Amino acid sequence: MTAVPLLTAASAPLTARRYFGGGDPGPIVAALASVPELLEVTLPFLSTILGASALDARTKEIVIVRTSALQECSYCVAAHSAVALDTGLTVAEVRTLSGAGPASLPDADEAALLAWIEAVAGATGAVPDPVVLRLKSAYQDFEIVELTLLIGATMMLNRFCTALSLPTSAEVANRLAGVGLA
Amino acid sequence: MTAIAEAVDSGSLPGRVWMYSNYHCNLACSYCLTESAPGVTRRQLTSERMIDIGRDAADLGFTALGVTGGEPFLLPDMAHTLAQLGSILPTVGLTNGTLFTGRRLDAAQELAGSDVALQISLDSADPDVNDTARGPDNFAKVVAAIPALVERGVTVRIATTGEEPDPAAMSRLCALHRDLGVPDEDHVVRPIINRGRAADAGMGVVVTEQDLPAELTITADGAFWSPFGPTVVDGQLDTDLLLTRTTEPLRVPAQTLLGLLEGRPPGTASTLNIL
Repeated sequence: MTAVPLLTAASAPLTARRYFGGGDPGPIVAALASVPELLEVTLPFLSTILGASALDARTKEIVIVRTSALQECSYCVAAHSAVALDTGLTVAEVRTLSGAGPASLPDADEAALLAWIEAVAGATGAVPDPVVLRLKSAYQDFEIVELTLLIGATMMLNRFCTALSLPTSAEVANRLAGVGLA
Repeated sequence: MTAIAEAVDSGSLPGRVWMYSNYHCNLACSYCLTESAPGVTRRQLTSERMIDIGRDAADLGFTALGVTGGEPFLLPDMAHTLAQLGSILPTVGLTNGTLFTGRRLDAAQELAGSDVALQISLDSADPDVNDTARGPDNFAKVVAAIPALVERGVTVRIATTGEEPDPAAMSRLCALHRDLGVPDEDHVVRPIINRGRAADAGMGVVVTEQDLPAELTITADGAFWSPFGPTVVDGQLDTDLLLTRTTEPLRVPAQTLLGLLEGRPPGTASTLNIL
């Protein structure tokens, strides 16, 4: 059961209505709309971090899906598995990233990234030096900054969506079931 | 001068800040916006909080205060709270007027000569008509309380809420309020708004924010566009006219309200008489 009301266009506060103008904005916005002043700052923040940036879309979806799997956020795993497929990841790649067990990708840079994600989102405390060095061999410093912030922002969303039991849409669930990812 | 003060001064932002002191009430009127009744959750602002809001409102450049509920006089020391608010800015306190006996009537003496007006609801000169909407014995209590307050020097306004005022009935009501010591200029007539319990009953005027004066309204649940904003249906607070959950400092919701008003096309300010 969803823990808080998911507002609709009719119940959305004056200051949040513009997010409902294009139809159902999804459960994250619908939940955040109960505190419109937080929605006003959170959504641009998330859009900037999760949206188009210096990192390519494939890399970003690898981060988001894998982080969400490590955090056991079923809402985010489902939503971003669909996005990842749209971005061009294969069903097999999404399956390994979204699974409960260890993930693997053949590309060396992406393997280094998976180790980084595991150390940041799947563990606590400092990241071991070998993991840092491996990542630095694959990515530039500014990319590491963005990758790390992306992991952190995804973790924030993971806990928000999981704690509030936000529902996966039937459309996403059906699509994933159709390719064997449900 | 703050941007708020400039907007109030120019008339683009209404000068009054409203506070919902509480949501519980000794009555359960048929058209109540907030489904107020004896057993509902109080959602109360403390006296200290209301006075802080009053001071912040004055500092920002607002020019008047209002307190509504629920029934504000169910809270202890409401007369003293209103007197303190009246020392900050001119204040109107909305009340059903049914509680002014004994200790509460004595306490109301503090409002004599202050910049506080009590606005008491009275819908008809016909006790049966009045009490159908507002509950048994409401009429008798109100017509006893009003002269008692007036005799003590308290400024009393009368608010009449109704759907289609019948001229003959209104004439009898006006004769009554004059007899009770309330002049015509202190009698306001306003429509039922189709929100809260009135919406459940299919009563009143359907409104949007464009119909409602943008009077900043502070409740325990957040800040709203109008005192007609924080209404309740089926026990759930309406959020469609919510501005912010943040109410302290007051400039946060005040600036949000001002921002919305500045984005409003010219000529769309409310003309609905609902105060």
